[in-house]
Amino acid sequence: MRKILSVSAALIGLLVAVSPVRAHHAFAAEYDGKKQVHLEGVVTQMEWINPHTWIHIDVTEPDGKVTSWMVEGGSPNILLRRGFNKGSLEKGQKIAVDGFQAKDGSNRANGSNITYPDGKKLFLGSSGTGAPADPGPNK
Amino acid sequence: MREHVLTSLIVLSAVLASVLLVTLPVIGQSPDTKSKKSTYTPPKLPWGDPDLQGLWPGTDLIEVPLQRDAKAGERTEVTQEEFAQRQAKAERTAENDKVAYVAKDSKVGINPPGYWLEHGKPQKITSLVVDPPNGRIPELTEQAKQKAAQAKQAKQGHGPNETWEDQSLYDRCISRGVMGSILPVIYNNGTQIVQGPGYVAIRYEMIHETKIIPLDGRPHPGSNIKSYMGDSRGHWEGNTLVIETTNFLGDKNGIGLNGGGTPHSADMVLTEKWTRTGPDMMEYTATINDPKTWVRPWTIRMPLRLNPEFPLYEYACHEGNYAMFNMLKGARAEEKAAEEAAKTGKK
Repeated sequence: MRKILSVSAALIGLLVAVSPVRAHHAFAAEYDGKKQVHLEGVVTQMEWINPHTWIHIDVTEPDGKVTSWMVEGGSPNILLRRGFNKGSLEKGQKIAVDGFQAKDGSNRANGSNITYPDGKKLFLGSSGTGAPADPGPNK
Repeated sequence: MREHVLTSLIVLSAVLASVLLVTLPVIGQSPDTKSKKSTYTPPKLPWGDPDLQGLWPGTDLIEVPLQRDAKAGERTEVTQEEFAQRQAKAERTAENDKVAYVAKDSKVGINPPGYWLEHGKPQKITSLVVDPPNGRIPELTEQAKQKAAQAKQAKQGHGPNETWEDQSLYDRCISRGVMGSILPVIYNNGTQIVQGPGYVAIRYEMIHETKIIPLDGRPHPGSNIKSYMGDSRGHWEGNTLVIETTNFLGDKNGIGLNGGGTPHSADMVLTEKWTRTGPDMMEYTATINDPKTWVRPWTIRMPLRLNPEFPLYEYACHEGNYAMFNMLKGARAEEKAAEEAAKTGKK
């Protein structure tokens, strides 16, 4: 169930070199760009809290040991506007997460890609704000 | 998907960079200072005031830079070719958003993914700053330059995450200030106007601010009473709501995205004007007059579109601000690792 993979330093260097989006805070200060993780686990809780949501998952190691991880997600307000709601991610749902681990080595990660086991995006985007009356960027 | 994220990163970085760029001296006054006269007559509320109520998010304008690219000079609108590029980019973004599956070779980033972000609509305007006529923030006064240099000096030898006080007022869930609360950013650009007899209330989704504005001509409180959002008084000039805000806490928020940029002084006078220009359009202008900070007043203008389907959601920022201790703990872990490495090196 659990795989933690590392990628080449060159790839990480490329990604870190990109100027950061000013989200609510600096992600590069929270997460270690040298500790890429791939996690597969089951959802135990989703915290719908500002400034950002947090998804809690239990990851089972090959030896059967279970470790709990917290994954930082998007602003709940925009996820809601995009049609994602409290019922969208239920306890027990299997998901996969690609991201980077917290700098202090604790079991927290950013959610760069968060998908269902088949690779389908958990938070499928939409044009414009995603609000029903929003005609999208081209209208 | 990753291309979309990178594109978003580049555009947003350009916007942020434009805010931070050193400004050029400005000569002369702008013909653009005054709002264009609107011929639209808004509906009236039962007590006779023009009806400005509704949800006026700034989301459409996300990709418009605060300051104009210096190369555009005094050109207030993009060329046809530039507009076509903006449209093509928006189409690519919309297409990327529709991709349901993450590609096998998708890159993993440390920054937020694209689905966190709201997207604007292609705009013809070249900048949100419309006065000075070059669309750029005026030069700082000598006093403000000295203050900025002192602040920079004080930061020498001080890490970016030594205490929570190193974080912005936005990161600390305190306030983005009046302009930081309305200038379009990557998400949560909700702004709502609610009116009652003698009052107007303006709500800002992020970070959870509401400005209550009396219209009865009462004076501002004494100059010792100061706050992040200041003290607002409003009046009507025809169908335009004019709001004058004073009594600010100085050296806190700037007039940039999320309250960034050079902090304004406690003496700033902010004059905002809200004019409905059509059934679903509003012209918003804000003139910043702070002679202690900028060598001349300057004006921001935004066309805001009514969007009843953009409700404001609660933004209880401090409820989940785990990032604050994550950043501080991260910095402490790095310091410890550096100490260990130094010890090992000495052995």
